[in-house]
Amino acid sequence: MAYVIALPCVDVKDKACVGECPVDCIYEGPRKMYIHPDECVDCGACEPVCPMEAIFYEDAVPDEWDGYRTTDREVFAEVGSPAGAESAGPLPTDHPVVAGAPVREQG
Amino acid sequence: MTDAVTHTGSGNGLLQLVPKAEAKQSMKDFKSDQEVRWCPGCGDYAILAAVQGFMPELGLAKENIVFVSGIGCSSRFPYYMNTYGMHSIHGRAPAIATGLATSRRDLSVWVVTGDGDALSIGGNHLIHALRRNVNLKILLFNNRIYGLTKGQYSPTSEVGKITKSTPMGSLDAPFNPVSLAIGAEASFVARTIDSDRKHLTDTLRQAADHPGTALIEIYQNCNIFNDGAFDALKDKQQAQETLIHLEHGQPIRFGTDRTRGVLRNQATGDLEVVTVTAHNEADILVHDAHSTSPTTAFALSRLADPDTLHHTPIGVFRNIQRPVYDTAMADQLDTAVDQKGKGDLAALLAGTDTWTVES
Ligand code: SF4
Ligand code: SF4
Ligand code: SF4
Repeated sequence: MAYVIALPCVDVKDKACVGECPVDCIYEGPRKMYIHPDECVDCGACEPVCPMEAIFYEDAVPDEWDGYRTTDREVFAEVGSPAGAESAGPLPTDHPVVAGAPVREQG
Repeated sequence: MTDAVTHTGSGNGLLQLVPKAEAKQSMKDFKSDQEVRWCPGCGDYAILAAVQGFMPELGLAKENIVFVSGIGCSSRFPYYMNTYGMHSIHGRAPAIATGLATSRRDLSVWVVTGDGDALSIGGNHLIHALRRNVNLKILLFNNRIYGLTKGQYSPTSEVGKITKSTPMGSLDAPFNPVSLAIGAEASFVARTIDSDRKHLTDTLRQAADHPGTALIEIYQNCNIFNDGAFDALKDKQQAQETLIHLEHGQPIRFGTDRTRGVLRNQATGDLEVVTVTAHNEADILVHDAHSTSPTTAFALSRLADPDTLHHTPIGVFRNIQRPVYDTAMADQLDTAVDQKGKGDLAALLAGTDTWTVES
């Protein structure tokens, strides 16, 4: 179990969460941030600072964003465990659920 | 029995006394059902995850693992491990763990303590566990502050530190836990960092493999009362110049392109940090964690500047084999039985040498 990031982050990505994470396990995708499920230590520091309230514990994701329960886990199935977002750099692609999300209107 | 044991090191023969798990374990097996109640972002979460992630590698029966803690934030640890545990008395975890380890050699006994618990009220218990070389693994979470009581200076706080109990700055010279442990005859002493999962896990592995007391100092961020205390070692850029990775058998070099190194000053015998040149490269100190003399390990522990943390070595400083207290005690008991037969506790208590005090 770990924390995950749901739809409200898509096209926002202000990265307020990144600075809070003590283990640097929040990775940047093209449209959304992703929490590494094995590197996350469940410390809960990211959740309250998210201005979009996009971060949830895996089993507490609201039903409307049910698809986001597994986006973060699945995106890392191919990437593996880079052990640190800062040195790993951004992920090349988004999870299909994220890639297919409607584009957020600016403003 | 299954092939649950993936632990290949054979250094700690005493581990053979602890029953193995019947099935392959995963990290989940070591998580308890208790809600973790440290402040969000506390370094303790990272240490907990690393320990829970490492335990399956040992493959020991959970019922034969015990985590004993004292008092402080770190000491909540046993609640979160799905093993036996004891949240004991302030500073007394090493004493209680000593009793357990010596009387129940089929247990894997771990102590979780902090800089306040271990080095202030518990200083005495810690040094005696270390000199006895009881088969304990001691995890000392060092955040250089009292967190549970909301931010007073601790025995590892730097001189001049302003806290609630030192409004004009701390006057106390801090303890260096690694130096202290080496001075107290510890047979295994290491240092690691909460957020470096790989290094922390590797250090746990080496400690578990050590017969006798292993002390691991873990630099831990208290993000509420002493946030960023170890940032100089965590920031990727800065760490290049501040962190020294100790590896047994390897020359002690660090810095961008490993251009810095540790050299022994031939005149004073002390260690110093130098720029590596073609001229001195061959003389750069090679780390020998197994050296019988503690002198060089101690000198390494003094390299770091307590204020800036520049030149902080991490890794295993000292790892030597010497008689383990539990084994020696068991042998002595066997000898006593051989020579004098099985004892009779009731008879001993009643005794033969009694007297009456008359008024
Ligand atoms: S703080 Fe929230 S919105 Fe901002 S990047 Fe993190 S998850 Fe996305
Ligand atoms: S819960 Fe903690 S470790 Fe996990 S992503 Fe959030 S800040 Fe990082
Ligand atoms: S006070 Fe500090 S050490 Fe204690 S739980 Fe909070 S962050 Fe962790």
